[in-house]
Amino acid sequence: MKHKRIIIISALFFAAASGLLFIYSFEAIFYFTVPVVERSPEQPIAFSHKKHAGKYSINCLYCHRYANISKVAGVPDMELCVSCHRFIARKKPGIKKLIGYWERKEPVPWIKVHDLPDFTYFPHNTHLRAGVYCDSCHGDVTTMDRIERVSRISMRWCLDCHRERDVSIDCLQCHF
Amino acid sequence: MNRREFLQLTGAAAAGGALSSCTINPEKLIPLLVPPEDGSIPGVADYYASICRQCPAGCGIIVRVSEGRANKIEGNPLHPVNKGKLCARGQAALQALYHPDRIRQPLKRTGVRGSGEFSPVSWEEGLSLLAEKLKGMKTAGARKGMIFFTPELQGTILQLVKAFTEHFNGMHVPYESLSLESHRKASVDVYGRYELPDYDIGSAQYIISFGADFLETFVSPVRYGDAYGRMRRARPTVRGLFTYAGPRMSMTAASADSWLPVKTGKEGILAAGMAGVILDEELYDGPALNIYGLNVSELKAAMADYPLKRVAEETGLTERDIFSASRDFARLRPSIAIAGDTVAHQTNGIDSIKAVHLLNLLTGNFGKQGGVRFSPKDLKQTASSYSKLLDTIDDMSGGSVRVALFHGVDPVYALPKTSGFEKALGKVPFIASFSSFQCDTTRQADLILPDHTDLESWGEVIPSIGGDIGVVGTVQPVVRPVHNTLAFPDALLSLVKTEGGKVPGISAYGDYPAVLKEHIRQASGHKPGADFERVWTKTLQRGGIFKEDSKPVKSINRSGKFIFTVPRKAVFSGDEKQFPFHLHIYPSAIMFDGRSAHLPWLQETPDPMTTAVWGTWLEINPKTAGSLGITHGDLVEVESPAGSIRVPVVIYPAIRSEVMAMPLGQGHRNFGRYAAGRGVNPLDLLETVVDKENRLPALGATRVRIKRISKKGGLITAGHPDGSYRGELLEI
Repeated sequence: MKHKRIIIISALFFAAASGLLFIYSFEAIFYFTVPVVERSPEQPIAFSHKKHAGKYSINCLYCHRYANISKVAGVPDMELCVSCHRFIARKKPGIKKLIGYWERKEPVPWIKVHDLPDFTYFPHNTHLRAGVYCDSCHGDVTTMDRIERVSRISMRWCLDCHRERDVSIDCLQCHF
Repeated sequence: MNRREFLQLTGAAAAGGALSSCTINPEKLIPLLVPPEDGSIPGVADYYASICRQCPAGCGIIVRVSEGRANKIEGNPLHPVNKGKLCARGQAALQALYHPDRIRQPLKRTGVRGSGEFSPVSWEEGLSLLAEKLKGMKTAGARKGMIFFTPELQGTILQLVKAFTEHFNGMHVPYESLSLESHRKASVDVYGRYELPDYDIGSAQYIISFGADFLETFVSPVRYGDAYGRMRRARPTVRGLFTYAGPRMSMTAASADSWLPVKTGKEGILAAGMAGVILDEELYDGPALNIYGLNVSELKAAMADYPLKRVAEETGLTERDIFSASRDFARLRPSIAIAGDTVAHQTNGIDSIKAVHLLNLLTGNFGKQGGVRFSPKDLKQTASSYSKLLDTIDDMSGGSVRVALFHGVDPVYALPKTSGFEKALGKVPFIASFSSFQCDTTRQADLILPDHTDLESWGEVIPSIGGDIGVVGTVQPVVRPVHNTLAFPDALLSLVKTEGGKVPGISAYGDYPAVLKEHIRQASGHKPGADFERVWTKTLQRGGIFKEDSKPVKSINRSGKFIFTVPRKAVFSGDEKQFPFHLHIYPSAIMFDGRSAHLPWLQETPDPMTTAVWGTWLEINPKTAGSLGITHGDLVEVESPAGSIRVPVVIYPAIRSEVMAMPLGQGHRNFGRYAAGRGVNPLDLLETVVDKENRLPALGATRVRIKRISKKGGLITAGHPDGSYRGELLEI
């Protein structure tokens, strides 16, 4: 009888463990399930964060200047790009493309890599104030030539972090 | 195809489906070319103070603007009229800005009149076309060659329109379909004041309203709604009492302590009867009457033919009810008697309003806290005049009018069909409209020069009543113009300029925003310069100049004596035997006079009493309906001497059995996709003038008969006819 109980308990344990493993593997296989075109799509101009943020250590907030004061981080306006590249690296094909856009008075149609559904409220400024810095979600962009999504932006992923930091997980915190 | 091929193909199709579901349609991240100059931050909303222009009340609003798009309107807490509150119509004004059926550029008529065939023209072309027509008329030198139809205007816009019409030998005809003309006339006779009286409801102990729906539509509903709340609950020891007298229980009446279902057209007699009781019981304020120049014996003599018994018979009420209401009114001071729209729109309207004001005088409530108040300055607004409007019909059909201009009014819709306005308008060689929407009048235009909507324009609004508050509200653009439109005052200025003319006192400042700024400078009493720049910015931020003037007028300065007479009998169109029912047309709490019908938010807002949406209905007392074999939702034909319309029926217990009520506001033939062809216009049942002596609009002076047509009325209600819709909500 005792033997049987052990078998049941171990079976339950095994089931729970494999369940957990399944969930976490689900998270882990994110890289295999989400295609590269979505995780790291080719952009209209081959802008390198590795060069700007890494090699030249330009602060994130220099370009994404609303991150600490608004819910959106803000994609830099064209004038900001051109203000440097009117003089710097003008011969490179990417910069030529950029100047082309600028002269045609067209914005560069960047492809969104990190996207949240419209029913979710995610304020960048609040997270920065709480000490959750850019790399916690966006990864180490100083090593990325082409920007890549490193986290599975799902509600559970948000909640895990909120629980870990003992922040409210009330529905109305993000959905209202 | 063999089995293997089939399986291969389906497999490939499935794989293709799976793959295509993976390839997402990526969202774009479009940067700005240059950052916004005003320093606004993406993702952080900006708030602009302005004034609501959905009705003449002039409430202050604050508009939330995100990334250059207006997305919410709320009340301005600093504005003394509405104190941060706002009604449904004000909230819905946002939809006018982004309405899919707005007129997006100047249009010139290409088809026959009224066909709605227009082709876009440039602003230069449009303005020069109108300038040419006006120029030709000026050289002809004919008087009244041009007529300019507008709503009641104030301040700089009024100055501008007046100067414009004078410059082109024209005539300015201001018109509001819910005209307060009778109120003004009565006010001049009783108080010697041209402006509308303000009622200090918040400090009163007792209110009796004669058909004044001051919580829904009457003059300044948000202001009175706030005051009503204070009257009921803000004082620790006093809860103000409220009685409503009128043939139909409105939402305002439903908030009252008691409802006196007085017969149609007899409200004035009830007021006179109450005055009689107060005189007989000697409950009046004697010293006050002396100051007001009233003599008790004269008043008693005027009431001699109307003992309480006769008043009770005529009004259809019990002697006891009238007596107790009179006693309460006289004892629970300060008390206020208010006469409203449905009383004013009877043929004896002016007399009835005067009788109601007599009650205020008898108890000495003039100029007191909790009484009837006037502001120190008599605001001489241009009041609308119905008879002047009717005169233009003769002028137009006579052929002397060569150009008709319209801004902000829709007389084709707002005048009874029998007036012949539309037909007369057809004889005018050139019609131009400044409207933002294709309303029934604009449809007839030869040229449309669309104005900005309220949220895109500059302006100023003096509230229709302010009583003791000196208020000038400033209207400022909260977003850039969405379409290729031009501000109405700037269009007028440029028309005068192309003529080489000048508008005295206005042209010197250039464009209209500069004119407005100068006007506000004068109103605020500052010298031009850096000092005023600060004041100007602050004024725009706050939403206007709010001078709280705590000195209301204490004495009555009228030229003649106020001679009181019991209101004569109201006259009705239609014979009593042929047309047994009274038609009670009331302004809708949702649509007002119909100017808000194009906004879908309001179309789907349930009427507060019947919960009906998206249409017009006829309210019938259950007893009457039973005797006629009519049930809830039936289609009936309502017939009056002037015409007939078909509407669904709402069985409505809170209405006199011989009265049938219909809300105003629907039945537009054009006015955007949400209003066009929806419901019916009760004005189609009216005769233009019922009483030949008083040429006043008579919304309440029509008799009707009804006939059941079918079971399918197409009535849509949010609640169940037999029960409270709140009950249904609880079950969810």
